[in-house]
Amino acid sequence: MTQLINVTGPGCVSPPPGPPPRIHLIGGERPLAFLVEGSRLFALERDFFAALETGDPGAEQELFAATGAAPRQPDFDSRLPEPAAISLNISQSCNLSCSYCYADEGRFGGRARLMPLEVALSAIDKLIDGARGRRVTLGFIGGEPFLNREVMYRSVDYALERAQDRGCTVGFSVTTNGTLLNRTDVSLLRDHGFAVSVSLDGGARVNDRYRRARGGASGFQQALRSLKPLLDNPGKARIAARATIARDDLRVAGRVNALADAGFIEIGVSPLRTSPDASLVLKAGDWPRLLEEMIRAAEEEWQRILRGHGFRFSNLATAMKQLHAGSAKPLPCGSAANYVSVSATGGYFSCHRTIDDQRFALGTTAAGLSTVARESFIKSRHVDRQEPCRTCWARYLCGGGCHAEVLSAGRGGCDYIRGWLEYCLRFYDRLLQERPGLLETSQRRPK
Amino acid sequence: MREKNVPLKSEKIFALNLTARAAVTVVGNPVTTRMESGVSNCFPGLEFDHRNLDRRFFPGLVFDFVSSSDDLRQGARLMQVDVSDPDLDPSTFANAPEDQPDANAQSQLATALYGDPGAALAQGAWFIESISQGGKTISLHERAVGRPPLDGRPAWRLVRSLQPGPVRIVLVRRPTRQGERVPAPRSIRLSGWRRRFVSSDTGVVSEAYMPGELSQSLCSPWMHDFRDCACTYWASNHPDIVLNEEIVGGGENPVTENPLTAGTPIDWLRSDRWPARTAAAEGTEGQNRAAQMDHYQINRRWQDLSIVLGGREVSRIFNAREADTAKTFATADDLAAELVKLAELEHLVSLEYLYALYSVKNPALVKDTALQNALTFVRHELLGIAVSEMRHLRWANQLIWELEHANLTTKPIGPSLGIALFMPGGPTPRRRMLNGLTKETLQSFIDVEQPSGTLDGAYARVLATLRQPKYSGLSLEQLAARIVADGMQHYSKFREIQVILKPYLDTNPSAYLQTPYQKAPVSHPGAQKALKMYAEIIDDLTKAYKLGDMEDAHLIADARRKMFDLKAIAEELADKGLGIPYFQDDNA
Repeated sequence: MTQLINVTGPGCVSPPPGPPPRIHLIGGERPLAFLVEGSRLFALERDFFAALETGDPGAEQELFAATGAAPRQPDFDSRLPEPAAISLNISQSCNLSCSYCYADEGRFGGRARLMPLEVALSAIDKLIDGARGRRVTLGFIGGEPFLNREVMYRSVDYALERAQDRGCTVGFSVTTNGTLLNRTDVSLLRDHGFAVSVSLDGGARVNDRYRRARGGASGFQQALRSLKPLLDNPGKARIAARATIARDDLRVAGRVNALADAGFIEIGVSPLRTSPDASLVLKAGDWPRLLEEMIRAAEEEWQRILRGHGFRFSNLATAMKQLHAGSAKPLPCGSAANYVSVSATGGYFSCHRTIDDQRFALGTTAAGLSTVARESFIKSRHVDRQEPCRTCWARYLCGGGCHAEVLSAGRGGCDYIRGWLEYCLRFYDRLLQERPGLLETSQRRPK
Repeated sequence: MREKNVPLKSEKIFALNLTARAAVTVVGNPVTTRMESGVSNCFPGLEFDHRNLDRRFFPGLVFDFVSSSDDLRQGARLMQVDVSDPDLDPSTFANAPEDQPDANAQSQLATALYGDPGAALAQGAWFIESISQGGKTISLHERAVGRPPLDGRPAWRLVRSLQPGPVRIVLVRRPTRQGERVPAPRSIRLSGWRRRFVSSDTGVVSEAYMPGELSQSLCSPWMHDFRDCACTYWASNHPDIVLNEEIVGGGENPVTENPLTAGTPIDWLRSDRWPARTAAAEGTEGQNRAAQMDHYQINRRWQDLSIVLGGREVSRIFNAREADTAKTFATADDLAAELVKLAELEHLVSLEYLYALYSVKNPALVKDTALQNALTFVRHELLGIAVSEMRHLRWANQLIWELEHANLTTKPIGPSLGIALFMPGGPTPRRRMLNGLTKETLQSFIDVEQPSGTLDGAYARVLATLRQPKYSGLSLEQLAARIVADGMQHYSKFREIQVILKPYLDTNPSAYLQTPYQKAPVSHPGAQKALKMYAEIIDDLTKAYKLGDMEDAHLIADARRKMFDLKAIAEELADKGLGIPYFQDDNA
């Protein structure tokens, strides 16, 4: 019988060649089995776990018989519905000059430009017409979107009006460096319940190393000054901080704490994989250290949870939510499927990371969004068609990694991702024992 | 090597996340199909229409029991040949060999239905002519020759009386109109078996029934029938009387707006949905009729009808409180130790409530009608709450017993029939105390039962612990969940008592209270008799809970009988202004 079980102890190994594993066993005080199909997690009695570890075919058969069939995977042959979310790159220009920015200060390698209003309105028309009554999300990105304030305001009004006409609802999001918000902006974000993602890397010292205003002023102080009214009273808005981790400082917990002290209640981090400045990008030897730092931050979070608090470290919170729901996805994100991004000149791209990269072009607002291009992109990115993803136990949790990063920089941090996911599976089990309510109640407003 | 005698799967594999839980085959029917999940009250309410079970009494065939003025059409008519019926597949019974029909019969019936007889049955109008079981044959025609076939109702009644086991039926093809020539074959004989409607292993309804099939003939909210079913007999999603929405504010500290409104039964079908005009339901259906939605309204406004959970209307997102966030106990020993304390508390509250009950005047001896009604209500509700607490005492002991017998505790712990020394609730716990139902005593009862107070808060921890995978094999969650839910009801009931007694509590307590009412001296012959009876009851219960024979044990039955005797003694003593001195250390 073919061994289809993948076993790891502490640390992790690269996936073995051969058929895709169906089970991932996680030893420890309370042994766990993760069934790859359907992302189903089970706790096992020790002897039974031991039998599975030794490859006892009877035990394996018993496990599959007891756990039933996996939920069905999405059908990739059916026609794609129109996207329910777009982001408008309304300002391919930025007032900061962060040295690692993937968007190259918003220019994405091209010329600095602002999106004309008619491009924005045309993209909104297409989004809402394609929604057929579903809820849609309109995002504003850049560069720094508040540099093109007028287009943002008029787009919001227009989207609300059109959505009402067509009987759908619309939500808004914005990714900003937070330095330019005025009082009216704060009201806009509050009143329309914006999901606001603020790019900040940690406390002032950490943040300002790379995120400096043009002219050298502190980006951190500038951002906090302008964000303070919103952080103090978010209204319907939901504000999250997102920190980029460059290779010269891999610490995580300190950033989370500093941003929490600054008033953020949701804080996420992401490692730098592609950048115009290659010296800041994480290299092979950095990943194990980053994993240690992530786990350290998560353990701090655990102590807070035991004291009755909710989540604030959003990498962990999101993982818990997805593991709880048994999310099993053959793609890393909704890009090109449920979500596309529009460049300042009206080009559709698979996401905000791939603006103006012709490998990811999907049409134009003038000519329309190409369903054929989207379908062929998605099919080619299916995780079961990727190597070495095909034989990795974590493939449906990870989805194969960010398309933009993988296609530009390859798959570097797979062991890190597996290590983090395995840690999260253990964490989930702990959470289920000690604070199951956190998984069942809304996590919108953690304490 | 693993042991040959492997434990149950449920003790080896524990589903953790939602997809894992969804994939595991759970023994039993979904909770929504259980009788206690129904919201119906005045009339029994139907969870399903049991005629739908009999439509598939014979595997592979689906019948309809037709009543008609047309002789040709009435009777048990074949509607469909269903060769996908799981009863025809031997693997269906792999886990329930006792339900397995005779292998030969199974293969012959499958062959027949797949073959010519099955093909013939798919054409034309076929009816059951006769049914044979256990050497008896019953014709579905009236006895005299030339008489018409039986109507669908008696035909169904005959099918209903079949036992599980071998059955033979004869089907005849009838013309679909007078004078039509029926082609051969005109009659087909099939040997099969009366389906087992539920698996004897799991109790699950046979998979032959499609989702919705068992309830397909019940009326739906948007139908006239939902307003006035011809037989005043409707689906269980039609309650008559419900309790008004209670919680305002939501969140972790919900506030009850008005205990009277919250505790007043209202008509679920009321036409005026404006909260401020919601009035108490009248005592009879006829009296409520005028205020209810009419037929044309039910068609159009059925969606205004409220969702009802736990007998109460709910209009906002339902928050199941406490148990979600409660902290669990680390070990089964800790859990059992807590249950010992909780059982002692249940015992204490039962005694305090019972003692207070007999301080309330006997309504039969009062002339004023308003007061008489109030006294009847208060005594009735107090007794109800006390009995409910006694039930909790038993459940707490059952929980301990189950933990011990599943070898989850490291040592024997129960039974627990002591009496707690302190009563929780209020700013600090108070010493246990036997008191008449004065204003202060009543307030202290309310404090104990307050939601998210001490008692239900403790059970929320028990419940959260029992939801952990290691306890999942014991199915104890429901018991703990019911105790938590009862606590909420007790709180409402005590607050209603407070409202009912309001005219008397401050200014004229002697109107409703026995005066004097005090503990009978231990030397009093009546007290001695009562205490002896009480000691015997506790002795019986201790033995019964130790044996763990929680149902139908003679010891429990004995204890119950003695409780009635004790009640009679308590009444006698109360008439003399005396209460039973269940304990003596309260300085009261």
